[in-house]
Amino acid sequence: MDQSAKRREVPLTALRNGQCGVVTSIKHGHDMGHGRGWGFEKRLMDMGITPGTRIMVVKSAPFRGPLEIIVRGSRLALGRGMAERIFIEAEGQ
Amino acid sequence: MSEKKLVIALAGNANVGKSLSGETNVFVNHNGKWTMNQLKKLVEDVFNSQPVTRIDETDCATPQDLSVVSLNLKTLRTEKSKVTHVLRHRERRNLIQLKTSSGRTLIATQDHNFIVAKGETTKIVDAKSLILGDQLPVVEKLSLEKLEMLAFSDIAWDKIIEINEVNCGDFVYDLVVQGNENFMLANGIFVHNSVIFNYLTGLHQHIGNWPGKTVERAEGTLHFKGYTIDVIDLPGIYSLSTYSIEESVSRKYIAVEKPDVVVNVLDATVLERNLFFTLQLMELGTPMIIALNQMDLAKKKGIEIDADKLERLLGVPVVPMVAIKGIGIFELLEKIIEVAEKGSMVSRVEVRYGEEVEARVARVIKMIEGIQLPYPPRYIAIKLMEEDEEITKEVEKIDPKIVPFAKELAGEIENLHGHSCPTIITSERYEVAGRIAREAQQLVSPKKPTFEERLHTITTHRILGYPIMALSMLLMFYSIFTFGDYASELLSNLLYALEPIFLTLFGTEFLGKLIWGGVMEGVIAGVTIALPYIFPFYVILYFLEDLGYLSRVAFLMDNVMHKIGLHGKAFIPIMLGYGCNVPACLGCRIMETERERLLAAFVTTLVPCAARTVIILGLVGKFMGIQWALAIYAFDLLIILLLGRLAFKTLPGEPTSLIMEMNDFKMPHVKTVLKQTWFRLAEFIKIAFPLIIVGSLTIKLIELLGLLEPIAALLSPITVSWLGLPAITGITLIFGVMRKELSLIMLATLLKTADFALVLTQVQMIVFTLVTTFYIPCIATIGALVKEFGWKKALSITIFEIVFAIGLGGIALRLLPIIV
Repeated sequence: MDQSAKRREVPLTALRNGQCGVVTSIKHGHDMGHGRGWGFEKRLMDMGITPGTRIMVVKSAPFRGPLEIIVRGSRLALGRGMAERIFIEAEGQ
Repeated sequence: MSEKKLVIALAGNANVGKSLSGETNVFVNHNGKWTMNQLKKLVEDVFNSQPVTRIDETDCATPQDLSVVSLNLKTLRTEKSKVTHVLRHRERRNLIQLKTSSGRTLIATQDHNFIVAKGETTKIVDAKSLILGDQLPVVEKLSLEKLEMLAFSDIAWDKIIEINEVNCGDFVYDLVVQGNENFMLANGIFVHNSVIFNYLTGLHQHIGNWPGKTVERAEGTLHFKGYTIDVIDLPGIYSLSTYSIEESVSRKYIAVEKPDVVVNVLDATVLERNLFFTLQLMELGTPMIIALNQMDLAKKKGIEIDADKLERLLGVPVVPMVAIKGIGIFELLEKIIEVAEKGSMVSRVEVRYGEEVEARVARVIKMIEGIQLPYPPRYIAIKLMEEDEEITKEVEKIDPKIVPFAKELAGEIENLHGHSCPTIITSERYEVAGRIAREAQQLVSPKKPTFEERLHTITTHRILGYPIMALSMLLMFYSIFTFGDYASELLSNLLYALEPIFLTLFGTEFLGKLIWGGVMEGVIAGVTIALPYIFPFYVILYFLEDLGYLSRVAFLMDNVMHKIGLHGKAFIPIMLGYGCNVPACLGCRIMETERERLLAAFVTTLVPCAARTVIILGLVGKFMGIQWALAIYAFDLLIILLLGRLAFKTLPGEPTSLIMEMNDFKMPHVKTVLKQTWFRLAEFIKIAFPLIIVGSLTIKLIELLGLLEPIAALLSPITVSWLGLPAITGITLIFGVMRKELSLIMLATLLKTADFALVLTQVQMIVFTLVTTFYIPCIATIGALVKEFGWKKALSITIFEIVFAIGLGGIALRLLPIIV
């Protein structure tokens, strides 16, 4: 991946309500190999969040609660810890 | 008759409600004689002579030697066909009365199926979809002699000229006819017959909105066109990769048992995500049919799906349905039989991945040729590349060389793409799903936010969401305990009225006391908690779940749950715990990892269940005031948070975050709710009842042998010296292990008064309540813990809680006098 693309990458949590973005990468927790953390990322992918996927942030629950997002036509609740590991290229400003 | 098995990915319910008015006359053949009978009398006669089974709301029996005239739709000739079942159900909706141009009339339920002419052929439509001008097949000139010969060559088509709704409110009746699936009425009209649905009937998309709750397999049987079809109800699956127990159950079932047909139920409102799963199912290679369910809801959301196009794109038969209303079920069953008999008419489209992936998958397939696993080679190869744990393990057992080889190839892909191989495969699979979805569906922009959407917005609102949640919970608990107290007392009085009978039967000596005090009181204890409290609790909870509200609550509670290392979903078992800890422990299966399941189960055992609420309200609430009872609840919450946090910090491993689909709100489906409730209740009965009975028998035995007092004396250093309670509380605490509120009931018995204010100080009341709340999960809960986590962990939790409760009680005794 080239540098310029990397610079535009922001975590999903940086999006405003109603803003969309395209997933560029999902950060593995490096210490967890293919253990539980991996299983969780697999789940994330199975729920349709893969690189190239367009995500819209609808809103977030208060006090650093989970995000409500729209992915592939369905509504998901996504924990903040996970959302922080999803990097996206934001659309529009 | 051949036996066919098929798998329904998700369960159904919903009565089909296809029947005719009881006054309808039919010709039947019995003992070789043709007679004209009223349908009502015909069916009731069978019910009086044969065993009647109840399927959902329909009564059903098998007649002996009963035939009717039916119409072979291919040849348009009449035949004599056997009646395999007679049915009856109570219809509450209006019936539909039809009148034809020849003056024939008939009355049927709105869902009853009719054969109508459609160009050169016929089609099946339900009564409420009939329109004026539709033509029904009739026999023109009827006579009993002709009946005997079955010589009707003159099938005519009779136009419907009048459709009216008429009142009903009574039983309606129907027959199931072998082969042709229709029968002739006495006025010559042929009507389609009923199909017995046991399990399949609803194909109700979600069993609630919570993925994966029915871990145990549910099975049902239905009869259709001479087939006996076993319907296996598999748990909801998001992805076939081993993610949780449920998914692995389904995958194994499909791969190992090789059902004749897999029916994959898709939710039309979220086609793309559902297709992802479909594509994986297709890779398993089992004959398959897609039931495209919730077409009505999709339409409401502005999604138009072209089922034919979807069928072409996937190469799998697609049947559009609104299962909850019974629409499309008949077509689905026909398709199932067709696929089972002839194989699919459409050729399956294979999911192709990118070139780099395909080339390597091909190399792995070569490597695993001849390997003995129930999965197709391509499936194994892909799963190996996806680093699926279970498949990898199974392959490793057979040939340890394959796994490193696949890993190496996967590594190559990672180097090429910059993403891990599983990520590549998943995204490519999603790409395919997305492309198919886009081609098959058309999005018509919805006019304005639907009611469901507005409901979602307000229930997840960052401010309003919380009071709404608090109010719902309060309302729920208030109604349950109001109802429960009343019903529990009623039941208990009723059952205790049996005591004299038992004592006269078994005598008032040792045996009588043992049977009544041990076995029966155990049963009573179980019944008076299960029925009045647990049952309504689950009805309401599953109502909320089916409605879609629980996932919103999980969304709101996520960050609170994170404080104890869990995520929002854990709030559900915790809430279950307020009803009873047993199903709550089992409910922890919805958590993703073993660590979280254990953590959540530990926390739920600290939740004051209905039985503990009886103590809190009955002792502290009654004699010290409701504010003290509420304080105990608040304190309990605090302890849950503290101990939960402690356990979270102690248990190794990393917390996972919430990821959960929030399905659209929908009208809860009564049968789904009741089925879920029954499922949980049965689970409770299975685990708890034997333990409660054995336990109560043991205690009774100890009591009859005169060992209670010595044991109480043995415990007195703890109960009297450390906890400052009367010595007999030692005995009551032992009883409490069976069922917590027994400790209060026993206390009243032993102290010979229910006015605890006379015998206990306020501090003692609080100490006693605190200890009983925390001191041990009751025996049934221990049973559930053992079942889920094994002896060692169950024992550790038990011992920890005993020590903790006693410690806490002693500290409370010494600190409380300052504030009370």
